Amino acid sequence: MAEDLVLDTAIRDWVLIPLSVVMVLIGILRYFVSKLMRSSNQVPDPKMVKEGQVIIRARNLRAAANYIPAKSFRARRVYFSNEENGLLYVPKGQAQNAQAQMFSDPNMAMDMMKKNLSMIIPQTLTFAWVNFFFSGFVAAKIPFPLTQRFRSMLQNGIDLSTVDVSYVSSRSWYFLNLFGLRGLFSLILGEENATDDTQRMMQMSGFGFDPTKSLGAEKDSLDIFQHEWALPKFEQRAEAVLKKLVS
Amino acid sequence: MANLGAPGKTASDITDELPTFNVENMQNNAKIIYYSRTFMSIIGGVIAGILGFTGLTGFILYFLVMAITSVGLAAKAGFSVHSYFDGWNRIILDGFLGGLLSFVLFWTYPNDFS
Repeated sequence: MAEDLVLDTAIRDWVLIPLSVVMVLIGILRYFVSKLMRSSNQVPDPKMVKEGQVIIRARNLRAAANYIPAKSFRARRVYFSNEENGLLYVPKGQAQNAQAQMFSDPNMAMDMMKKNLSMIIPQTLTFAWVNFFFSGFVAAKIPFPLTQRFRSMLQNGIDLSTVDVSYVSSRSWYFLNLFGLRGLFSLILGEENATDDTQRMMQMSGFGFDPTKSLGAEKDSLDIFQHEWALPKFEQRAEAVLKKLVS
Repeated sequence: MANLGAPGKTASDITDELPTFNVENMQNNAKIIYYSRTFMSIIGGVIAGILGFTGLTGFILYFLVMAITSVGLAAKAGFSVHSYFDGWNRIILDGFLGGLLSFVLFWTYPNDFS
């Protein structure tokens, strides 16, 4: 049953537009606030920086390994994954320690909490605001039909069961805006914006466990790597390129 | 959008056997692809809303817009994809569905603003 409800322009003026505008502004505000808060404690941990650089070196070795002779590659590999004093070798006990230390370190914990809060609080507040003020009426019409099972999700405040599922409540308009504006934010705010929460969650958890797990991972992939020296063929290749240039 | 500029060269050797990649340039190119797709999905959403598409037609328009973006990116790279990207998959498939949500949001806007 697809009745063609005509939505009051007052709904449009006082619900849809303000909600979108508010969400965009809150996103921009969050971006600037997180930028301000971040610059206050900017002391990177030297140990973590060292480990990060070691990982980068190992990765470079793997990427460019085919350009150095086999013996020097092996020498470098032993330097990295040697059992006694290789850079990538972390004994089991020490690995656990680093993890626990990461969590009990007050600076890091405060940092993570601040970032999480700065993300969750505006969303929660806005959601509560939407629920309080804008519930109980049809807010918008989405242009594609969904099945009846989505009715309970999308038409939360509306108690008529015969209305088409395309007419949604303002709660679903809030969620639609929440996900759809991420793309817009990435365009207007540049790459580093605090609104892409899933990405930052991953990054945050990545930082805590990064040293211990990825050291082991780098060591394993370095051990597996098959060295194939590309340089013997270079004379033929140089000849081919020069021939192409001359002819 | 001043950033639809030329993708930087990635391969540092003029070779077909040993591709080597400059990581920074590759990341820059990937970012450009992402921005282009987001922008085009927003514009495509507004177009779909204005033209009054509903349901399946709108999604077909989304895929059409994404295909046009892919063709445009390939043309910008001068169709010599291998000197700018890892391969054809990068240009064609990367971020294909990422713009879907923005598309739907901006598709809904004109519908509700009469």
